[in-house]
Amino acid sequence: MLSLKSMGTKINEIDEIKLELKRDLRDSFSSDSVDQLNTKYLGKQGKINTLFKTLPVKTDPKIGRQINELKNLIQEMLSAKLTETMGDEQHSIDVTIPGTEIPRGSLHLVTQAIEEIETIFLRLGFVRRRYPEVETDWYYAEGLNIPKEHPARDDQETFYVGDNTVLTAHTSNGQLREMELKKSPPIKMINIGKTYRRQIDASHTPMFHQFEGLVIDKEINITNLLGVTEYFAKSYFGQDRRTRLRPHHFQFTEPSFEIDVTCGVCQGTGVIHKIPCKVCKSGWLELGGAGMVHPNVLRNGGLNPDECTGFAFGWGVERVLMMKSNLPDLRLIYSDDIRFLKQF
Amino acid sequence: MDIVITDSSIRKFLDTPADSEMLSQNVSLCGPTFDRIKKIDGDFVYEIEAITNRVDTASAQGVAREAATILTQFNIPAKFINDPYKENLSFPDSQAKQFNLNIERDLVIRLVALSLENISVKPSSKETQSFLENCGQRPLNNCVDITNELTLLYGLPSHIFDLDKLAAQNLTIRESKRGESITTLDDKKNILIDGDIVIEDGSDRLVDLCGIMGGQVAEVDDHTKNILLIVPVYNPQKIRKTSLRLQKRTLAAQIFEKQPDPELCLPVLSKAVQLFKERTGAVISSPLFDYYPANRSPKIISLDFNWLNTFVGLDIKKETVIDILASLGFGGTKEGNGLACSVPSWRYHDINIREDLAEEVARIYGYFRLPSVLPCVNLPAEPKNHLFKTELKSKIFLSDIGYHEIYNNSLISLQAIEKSGQDSSRFIKLKNSLSQDFEYLRTSLIPSALENHKHNQGKADKQIKTFEIANCYQKTEGQELPKEISYLAILSEGDYRKTKGDLEALFQKLRVKDISFEPSKVLPPFYNTVATADIYSEKLMIGYIGSIKSAVSRNFGLTNSLIATEINLDSLVSKISQEYVYHPISEYPSIIEDLTVASEKSLGDIIEAIKSTSKLVKDIQYLDSFKGKHSFRISFQNNEKNLEQAEINSLKEIILDLFKV
Repeated sequence: MLSLKSMGTKINEIDEIKLELKRDLRDSFSSDSVDQLNTKYLGKQGKINTLFKTLPVKTDPKIGRQINELKNLIQEMLSAKLTETMGDEQHSIDVTIPGTEIPRGSLHLVTQAIEEIETIFLRLGFVRRRYPEVETDWYYAEGLNIPKEHPARDDQETFYVGDNTVLTAHTSNGQLREMELKKSPPIKMINIGKTYRRQIDASHTPMFHQFEGLVIDKEINITNLLGVTEYFAKSYFGQDRRTRLRPHHFQFTEPSFEIDVTCGVCQGTGVIHKIPCKVCKSGWLELGGAGMVHPNVLRNGGLNPDECTGFAFGWGVERVLMMKSNLPDLRLIYSDDIRFLKQF
Repeated sequence: MDIVITDSSIRKFLDTPADSEMLSQNVSLCGPTFDRIKKIDGDFVYEIEAITNRVDTASAQGVAREAATILTQFNIPAKFINDPYKENLSFPDSQAKQFNLNIERDLVIRLVALSLENISVKPSSKETQSFLENCGQRPLNNCVDITNELTLLYGLPSHIFDLDKLAAQNLTIRESKRGESITTLDDKKNILIDGDIVIEDGSDRLVDLCGIMGGQVAEVDDHTKNILLIVPVYNPQKIRKTSLRLQKRTLAAQIFEKQPDPELCLPVLSKAVQLFKERTGAVISSPLFDYYPANRSPKIISLDFNWLNTFVGLDIKKETVIDILASLGFGGTKEGNGLACSVPSWRYHDINIREDLAEEVARIYGYFRLPSVLPCVNLPAEPKNHLFKTELKSKIFLSDIGYHEIYNNSLISLQAIEKSGQDSSRFIKLKNSLSQDFEYLRTSLIPSALENHKHNQGKADKQIKTFEIANCYQKTEGQELPKEISYLAILSEGDYRKTKGDLEALFQKLRVKDISFEPSKVLPPFYNTVATADIYSEKLMIGYIGSIKSAVSRNFGLTNSLIATEINLDSLVSKISQEYVYHPISEYPSIIEDLTVASEKSLGDIIEAIKSTSKLVKDIQYLDSFKGKHSFRISFQNNEKNLEQAEINSLKEIILDLFKV
């Protein structure tokens, strides 16, 4: 007499085989692996045969039937899986085939840089402006504390349009225009625009772009200029960059600063493989000028220097772009060669 | 201005254990910048950038004073020594007069002079020669070398004449007259105009181009026995003008144009006399001549400690403030909660307001010691600027669909204006252009685009499609400044329909209201009259699209047919829809029918006519045309119910009837 215990064991084995098959089918993706499953379950030494072989002589016929049903089930499932995998295998793709080209244009490097710069300052709550490129002497020089006889006037770099009008060599004309527009503090603007100088060489083009920041409010101080400078440098160049202020002189700011950012090529060490870095001066690159707005400029803009203070900076878009790229010559930026343009 | 001086020369005025690296790094942070350092013969040669309004730092002495103050702040012992302002000066006055100097008004701020005799001219010592060479100067002889060495040490140039070569020892400092000439020590003949400062020797000969370079006539040479030594400070504007005009940017000129301290004249003269005695065996042969017509009044500036701390953004101790200012040479007396500061003579021109004093304190204290604090400035809400957004959106869209963005110079050549058939009198012309290629401000972006296409011929393998967004400049009658208007220009090889499709997609992306294209009435000169449309948004004209005239293409060396578009973005922006309007989507299917009509009318009119037949016409797609027959694919749809075929048939009849001849 077959014990109930041994009968139960066989039924358990059938269930286990079903579960195992399910897993095996889930994990097989090719007709080869389905063939292997065929051997594993239905082959001479397969699970089904083994099951039959291990049946005691006297067995409940029910068990035999159940094993046969299992065998049929396995056959069906394996054959279905085989059809499926073979079907997919007929539709193989050479994945290295080149993709179909869609028309690809290009966005200019300067546009990309301006967009990046604008985004950084908008995050800080600056409002973007655009002020005239052709400007009167007042906004361009006289009102910025540069009197008629001042040496800064005969820089030979300014393009003159008329006796009293110039093509701006800086974006600082936006300072007085912004003060006139807002009439009172607070002011927090970034003026991005085209500027022009009578210069052409590897680091100058007659037309270039500047971004001019101006912040005026009660008790704006030097540490605020440092804050904004550092925020910009870290956002634009990278978190590992540091900035420093050096004393400088401009007529429209007092005090005035030159701002440096650590060089990305030598990591601010000034040395690469024991040779002085060719890109920077002792680990530092000049970002540009900045300063606290001169009281005369505040007055000329209709503001009272006893009631508010401010800082301003004017930096070159191409300059920051060059500091971040490996372009050997700034003039390249203004190439109209599509083979150059489409690289970006 | 950049100066080149040696480490050892700075240490003549600076007593410190700091090595060259400590010196250069720390001083650069707070004062003049040490741009480059070279090691030569056991000494260091520095290239130092003296800030333009700080001519007092353009010398070994000036750098040393800054360094002593700065290093002290870094807790490095440092003392300013051999202060020229503290020297005891004495000049004999019982000598016979050897020369006479007449000085015209407003040319000289101060001039001190005396004569020396018994000179023996020979080469300078090795030490002096190598010092000058290291600083980029050519050693000549012991006399000239003294003046050059003193310029480097003290920042005030002096000059010597061979007294025996001066015709009458009766000198006049005056303005030059147009057409006069002087041959300078560099062997160049300089033709002068009115207003250069010169010295004439009493026999109509010019012997000095003042403040810039001496004249050959009275040059000191190997046979010189008697010399006249002058230490001047000239009118800076005049020196600058002459120096720039003659392109003689000598070290002397660069110093004099920044007006050095007249109080330094006597110390330098005294030092020079001492060196002449030591090195040439000279003996003083005249009393001191001192011309100093306008003695300056002392300058006092108030500095309030509270204001200072608010302005810098950090509390700096009163004692520190006082120490820093005193170390830089400022005098001070207490005044309320602050100081009344007296400005030292060498800072007379660059220190004028309290902000200048704040700079002195803050930079010496160390900008690097200040924290970075983002300003908390809250702007009230601003109206949106749609122009910037539209420009960027357009650029991104066009570059995404195959156009290349180009930045051209705002300035173009007369040639480009004429090649595109425009009238140059309507352009703004620069008064001092750099070259003929960049002379006129653009009124349209298309001529530059045509040049771009020319430059790319044979380089790009595919159809050339470019665009630019930039300002154009329009002269306006009665206005001092031109109108600056933002334009978009697109230039592409290929057909009108394709470009128009791209443009329509752009307008849709930008949400421009109600666009229509009409045969052009206002033609820019470079467009083909019968192949150009004016583009309207509602009733406002915003631009053109059309073919470039073949003659214009030819002028630019182009042979392909080109479609040009130019849009006034300032106008376009005023027509951008700011609202979002929802149209319910019909639950009933649309039925699509193809239809062919024969008509002489323009396609735009035909489509308008079909559209106006019924509200059930939802969409009309143009297929093609052949011999005056035009095919369309029309979608019919009713939002309320399913359309019956009979209904559609009758609509088709109505449409076809419109075009029955």
